[in-house]
Amino acid sequence: MAAVTAPTLPGAAIEQPKRLRVSDYLRWSVDHKIIGVQYMATALFFFIFGGALAMLIRWELLTPAIDLMADGQAYNSLFSIHGTVMIFLWIIPMMAGFANYLVPLMLGAKDMAFPWLNAFAFWLIPPAGIMMILGYFVGQTEAGWTSYPPLSTLFSGDGQTLWALSLHLLGVSSILGAINFIVTIRNMRPAGMGYFQMPLFVWAMLATSIIIVMATPFLAGALTLLILDRVAGTAFFNPAQGGDVLLWQNIFWFYSHPAVYIMVLPAFGIISELLSVHSRKPVFGYRAIALSSMAIALVGFTVWAHHMFTSLTPELRIPFMITSMIIAVPTGIKVFSWLGTIWGGKIHFTSAMLFALGFLSMFVIGGISGVMLGSVPFDIHVHDTYFVVSHLHFVLFGGSVLAVYGAIYHWFPKITGRMLDERLGKIHFWITYPAFFLTFFPMHLAGMLGMPRRVAQYAPEFQTLNVFISIAAFVLGISTFILLYNMVHSLFYGEKAGANPWRALTLEWATSSPPPSTNFIGDPVPFPNPYGYGTEAAYNYVESQNKKYGTVNPSDYEPVEKIGPLSAGTE
Amino acid sequence: MAQHVAEQGLTRDELMALRNKRTGMTVFQVSWIMAFVCLIVVNWQIRSNAPSWPPAGVEPLSSILPTIVTLFLAASGWLVHNALQAINADQLGRFFSQWRLALVLGAAFVVVIAFEWITIPTSGMYSTVFRVMTAFHAIHALVIGLYMWLVDRRVRAGQVTSHDTWAVEAGTKLWYFVIVAWIMFYVVLYVL
Repeated sequence: MAAVTAPTLPGAAIEQPKRLRVSDYLRWSVDHKIIGVQYMATALFFFIFGGALAMLIRWELLTPAIDLMADGQAYNSLFSIHGTVMIFLWIIPMMAGFANYLVPLMLGAKDMAFPWLNAFAFWLIPPAGIMMILGYFVGQTEAGWTSYPPLSTLFSGDGQTLWALSLHLLGVSSILGAINFIVTIRNMRPAGMGYFQMPLFVWAMLATSIIIVMATPFLAGALTLLILDRVAGTAFFNPAQGGDVLLWQNIFWFYSHPAVYIMVLPAFGIISELLSVHSRKPVFGYRAIALSSMAIALVGFTVWAHHMFTSLTPELRIPFMITSMIIAVPTGIKVFSWLGTIWGGKIHFTSAMLFALGFLSMFVIGGISGVMLGSVPFDIHVHDTYFVVSHLHFVLFGGSVLAVYGAIYHWFPKITGRMLDERLGKIHFWITYPAFFLTFFPMHLAGMLGMPRRVAQYAPEFQTLNVFISIAAFVLGISTFILLYNMVHSLFYGEKAGANPWRALTLEWATSSPPPSTNFIGDPVPFPNPYGYGTEAAYNYVESQNKKYGTVNPSDYEPVEKIGPLSAGTE
Repeated sequence: MAQHVAEQGLTRDELMALRNKRTGMTVFQVSWIMAFVCLIVVNWQIRSNAPSWPPAGVEPLSSILPTIVTLFLAASGWLVHNALQAINADQLGRFFSQWRLALVLGAAFVVVIAFEWITIPTSGMYSTVFRVMTAFHAIHALVIGLYMWLVDRRVRAGQVTSHDTWAVEAGTKLWYFVIVAWIMFYVVLYVL
């Protein structure tokens, strides 16, 4: 293979990035890196808020009676806002934050295609979040994150209207962001980077963005009708006046099942990056992983009614069961490809890698329970029980959140120029991982024994299980502060990272940490295979970067390529 | 083609910006049409629940006036297409005549649909679905029509020339969107 070196401009001085202040992140900016951090910081705030609500939920469930909350309605508001905040104000914006920061860098671009639109999309989120929280305090936002009528139309208060308006804004933000990603990815790839030379995170964001632009307008339509029913006297969801409650379920889930992939596909992209870099192996099955993301995006539109097995016309259950089973196939392809990627690799058990491996194990459990729920007889048995709560948390926490944690440990050095404390990172992992498992795995059991979800009062025989779950949940909640402390502490006192602490080959590492305002000095030259670890060419590519930017890498991150090529399963 | 001649004078960054705008517009159109598809699904599910449609005792909508203005709307699509070609060739007189006639036809469409909206007897879900669908479409027609009027003013002020006709191209493509969305609604409301 011809030697490929990182770009160097003869005699060109490396621009010293302007040190950004906190106030720079509180202002309107069209720089995708600032916007990315704005997304992430905002999402982390809502993560803490949503997490605090989760702690209150678990506190309430320590006993079978209602004691912490004033009444059942207050409890309804609690879990409704918890679910909505975690989905729409934490996971989705957090993934958007990473994507905003990384996609242009990974493509060697100076910015997103529409920088102004990018900033506008972000600045819709804070008012939407405020509206959502106001809705909680106004009260009676009690229809869950799914907001099924008639609970959301006839039996909820003004908080529910604020909830719907807030979601409308978040939907618009999502669509604008997704348009930006699609255009950026299609048009702004550098010379020499075809679609199949793109990093897998970029592939994941392309698939995610396609889902967003096709599905989110459906949510907009549904919310418009919900608001009209609530404030304008229409009756789209009121059967007594010719409406249909199932209408909401159909159009809501036509958006919201694909939305599950909006939350998890970026996580898949993150994991593909992390596993390859930290096991020093080329990605096994690159094309399979890339195309399976597109397959998920496509098949994801055909499965929505599996959320409605108990209300669906019986003859439609089997077709939706089949499509739900089919969508497990591309996900399975990814999982086996990831295993193939780390197999035989020289695994560095960094904090990022630990969380990636944690994702792999926990997400598979969530995937398996998903297949179980996709089976009609089993789904009817556990419908609306804690089994479903367990499944969705294995997918969204065991999947998306663990991937986000891994991504923070991996890209924090690029964003801030400082390494996170690895010792604290490992402590964080070794508390989070078992605490997560012990919180959510027993919920399978509670569900199969018949404990319904969304209740503040439950049968006394479930108390022991609930106390156990709650204690584990409190530990899980506290473990988050280790990460937050690590981030704040490392921002000021962390070891300097250098341009490429992980010796990675994707383009975001081919510039200083943090990158200059124009991202790169000159036009960056991508390495032909973004995961071509274990070759002399890859070694030389990274070394040429180090010559340019100066090596301040962690000394224990050995350049295994120097030791000798790996017998990697390459494509 | 004149448009391509103009593009030849663009720098790499300007060409990229134009390409991005065009792709962005296409993605937006494909995306937002789904909101209209959503309302078609709503219409379909509501009517499939009813024993008959329109429900017994409810007068069906008259399609004469709406059909005429639908033809107006289709004609306006042809006119804005011509107007775009005219501005690309720096033929301002032809641009104004085609663009303004399209605006007049679009305004006639909105007025007639507003008349239908006001005069349809209130009859439960039949009229509600009609009103929501037509109002949703009319909001788009009005906002995009307003944008087209502003483009007209910019052209008159000499701010749009054959060297940069994106403002006109964007207005044209947005108006195509209004037309396609309405034809879908027309079929659902008046034909099926």
